[in-house]
Amino acid sequence: MLKSYLTKSKVHPAPLAVFRIVFGLLMLVALIRFWTNGWIYSLYIEPDFHFKYYGFSWVKGLGNYTYLLYSSCIIAVVGIILGYRYRLSIILFFLLITYSELIDKTTYLNHYYFTSCIAFLLCFLPAAHYFSIDAIQKEKSIDAIPSWMVDGIKLFLCIVYFYAGLAKINSDWLLEAQPLSLWLTSKYDIPLIGEILKYRWVHYAASWSGMLYDVFIPFFLLYPKTRSIAFVFVILFHIMTKIFFPSIGMFPYIMIFGATIFLDVQWHKNQLEFLRKFAAKFSQKFNFLKLKLTTSKANVSFKPKQYILPLFISFFIIQIFLPFRYLTYPGELFWNEQGYRFSWRVMLMEKKGYTTFKIKDSINQKTFYVDNADFLTPFQERQMSFQPDFILEYAHYLANHFEKQGHQNIQVFADSFVALNGRPSERFIDPSTDLNQEIESFKHKKWVLPLKDEIHGL
Amino acid sequence: MKNLISIKVILLSLILLNCTSDSDTNDVIEETGLNIEEQQTEFDRLSMLTFWADNIIIPSINSFYVELNSLNEYASSFTSNPNPSTLTQLRDQWLTTYKKWQHIEMFDIGVAEEIYFKNRMNIFPANVEKIENNISNFDFNLDDSVNFASQGFTAFDYLLFGIAQDDDEIIAKYSDSSQNYDSYMLAITSKMIELTISVKSNWEGSYRDSFVESTENTATSSINIMLNDFVFYFEKGYRANKFGIPAGVFSGGPLPDRIEAYNGEIYSQILALEATTAIENFFNGIAYGDPNKTGLSIKNYLDFIESDVSDKLSARINNQLQAGKNKINELNTNFKIQIKENNHEMLLTYDAIQSTVILLKVDMLQKLNVSVDYADADGD
Repeated sequence: MLKSYLTKSKVHPAPLAVFRIVFGLLMLVALIRFWTNGWIYSLYIEPDFHFKYYGFSWVKGLGNYTYLLYSSCIIAVVGIILGYRYRLSIILFFLLITYSELIDKTTYLNHYYFTSCIAFLLCFLPAAHYFSIDAIQKEKSIDAIPSWMVDGIKLFLCIVYFYAGLAKINSDWLLEAQPLSLWLTSKYDIPLIGEILKYRWVHYAASWSGMLYDVFIPFFLLYPKTRSIAFVFVILFHIMTKIFFPSIGMFPYIMIFGATIFLDVQWHKNQLEFLRKFAAKFSQKFNFLKLKLTTSKANVSFKPKQYILPLFISFFIIQIFLPFRYLTYPGELFWNEQGYRFSWRVMLMEKKGYTTFKIKDSINQKTFYVDNADFLTPFQERQMSFQPDFILEYAHYLANHFEKQGHQNIQVFADSFVALNGRPSERFIDPSTDLNQEIESFKHKKWVLPLKDEIHGL
Repeated sequence: MKNLISIKVILLSLILLNCTSDSDTNDVIEETGLNIEEQQTEFDRLSMLTFWADNIIIPSINSFYVELNSLNEYASSFTSNPNPSTLTQLRDQWLTTYKKWQHIEMFDIGVAEEIYFKNRMNIFPANVEKIENNISNFDFNLDDSVNFASQGFTAFDYLLFGIAQDDDEIIAKYSDSSQNYDSYMLAITSKMIELTISVKSNWEGSYRDSFVESTENTATSSINIMLNDFVFYFEKGYRANKFGIPAGVFSGGPLPDRIEAYNGEIYSQILALEATTAIENFFNGIAYGDPNKTGLSIKNYLDFIESDVSDKLSARINNQLQAGKNKINELNTNFKIQIKENNHEMLLTYDAIQSTVILLKVDMLQKLNVSVDYADADGD
């Protein structure tokens, strides 16, 4: 059955074309927003020092060329939307946006990672063989693609939701209503509903419904009979999150519009027909698209290259297992953050830290503390102060810096305190560990002191 | 689907019912003089801001202004008639005014922030070379940032104690008007008055109302700015400037010449204790000049958020503030001597204060969900 599904099952390409256009438009808005908020400068150009993902220290900041990178991204996105030189555009977009994300892990967000993953998948999908400038120019369009190509995107969205839901099945989220309790209480200034956000029952209701939503929504979206109502839930849920947490940026819109891929083929055809009529006002050429929209018998089917299916299967195997890599580490995941990223742990914890560094000359025993503001932006300092891999990388950077200044026999000790989900702050890093002697790796970081509490759950 | 939805609804309503019955605790509510009977479910941010403005900030600025005018008078009588008696009177008044200053340095908001009030009133160490240049050339612009360290209390400290070896020589310098020391002192005094008037009139004007009404939780709202200012002052103006830097925490070796009121020497402890009192009063909502009058405060705000917690953060903060204060009390009144003779005690004091920084910056700001900076980037 699986074999016949993978080789025989076909679907109309309209949903994929709509997804391409919608994704492109969202990215266009996101890029322009990122630029106009001044984040290209403040996140990628202003900092003297960038925190690197393990194994990606070769990715360098580009200085003012970062603007060129983002300009190219915007051009590529326009190509994606129009389906003009699509393959080139999407590959360029994937490489450029992923490169920019790799410059500094301080900016890591699940939805940036999500964006890169989607862009990666789209590199191999025939998203512009239909309803695109490419199709018009080649005067060739298709009306069937293998079902797994559209279902792959759906599966990926399902994984995102489901894993985000599983991550919420823990004692802090469900039994303490944390961190939502901390966050919602401070949202007293939201019109109308702000008044009730201080009540404990609201925090519990929000926590539980958030968890249930994330776990179950994929199934309701997949099941035809519940699809429409589920989509209404998607819209309501993400609008709520945007109201409560304006700082989550584009994420709600990406999820709402991304979920349209679950809707019926006919819905997608309607949208494209609407678009075609609109476009035809500007150029008669777009009427060519009409032909292809209406002929369903022609059966011009798309034959994907041999390597794509195995590639997709590998991608999904990684996606399914990667979020569970935390099980290979001892200690509390939220505290140590070993295996935390790339696992769809979204809005899951409130963590605040205060970490200062003591530089010591091991021979003459002289010590002094570093003012982090001399080296890091406030945003970097905030992220560094509670994430062990940041602390280690920064400690090495400091050692390097002071060695160049002529200091010798340098030892670096962290004086670090972190509070998690409303717990009192605790000492985070073993103050007797010379971080200059510790090497970054995927191994367990023994110098992170264990959390004095236990969080139960997945 | 319908079945599942109803399961969801039932589950949810069960949870809701369960939790409402939990949250009906009734702790003893402290009497604070204002109407906060419903503290359990309501926190009146408007009252808190009103209390800050009307009972702490504006009265402390006014009181400071009165003393500053006296300082001006004593400076006039000293410069017109320099002798040991007028010098002592002026020094006393300088200390009185300096102590008042400790109550307003943390309010770096509104006009005070715009005109760099705290940087011009109390940046130390003083730039002695610049001061001497200004005096000998008598051509200077105190509004230029290069002169921030050559005016205010620190410059005054130098002019009162540092320009010569002993009091006779100091008096001699002021007796010779051609040396300009007298004119420079008066120039600095009138600049301090001028700056204070602009801050004071700002608060007495429309600013007070807009401050009080800004109760929302945004990066630019009064509560957030005040909390950030308070924490920043505690960490920088109080912990680092008064203790950490002179004790050598950031430099590898002690820097006793970095103490507050370096030339006066014996005043460093008094000033530090006064600042501690100002911090405690603001945190606990004690009116300026009247310890019996209290109002809504950060402490109450924390207790409101922690209404179901028994080990209150506010209590831990107050205990730690007290621990720091005890340490300061054990120090030599002259921090310079303390640092030179037993810097270890100075470092221990710093550590006690540092523990409070962690409670304020990590625990408190997490509970109040106030961001420590304005770096805006998306989060998830």
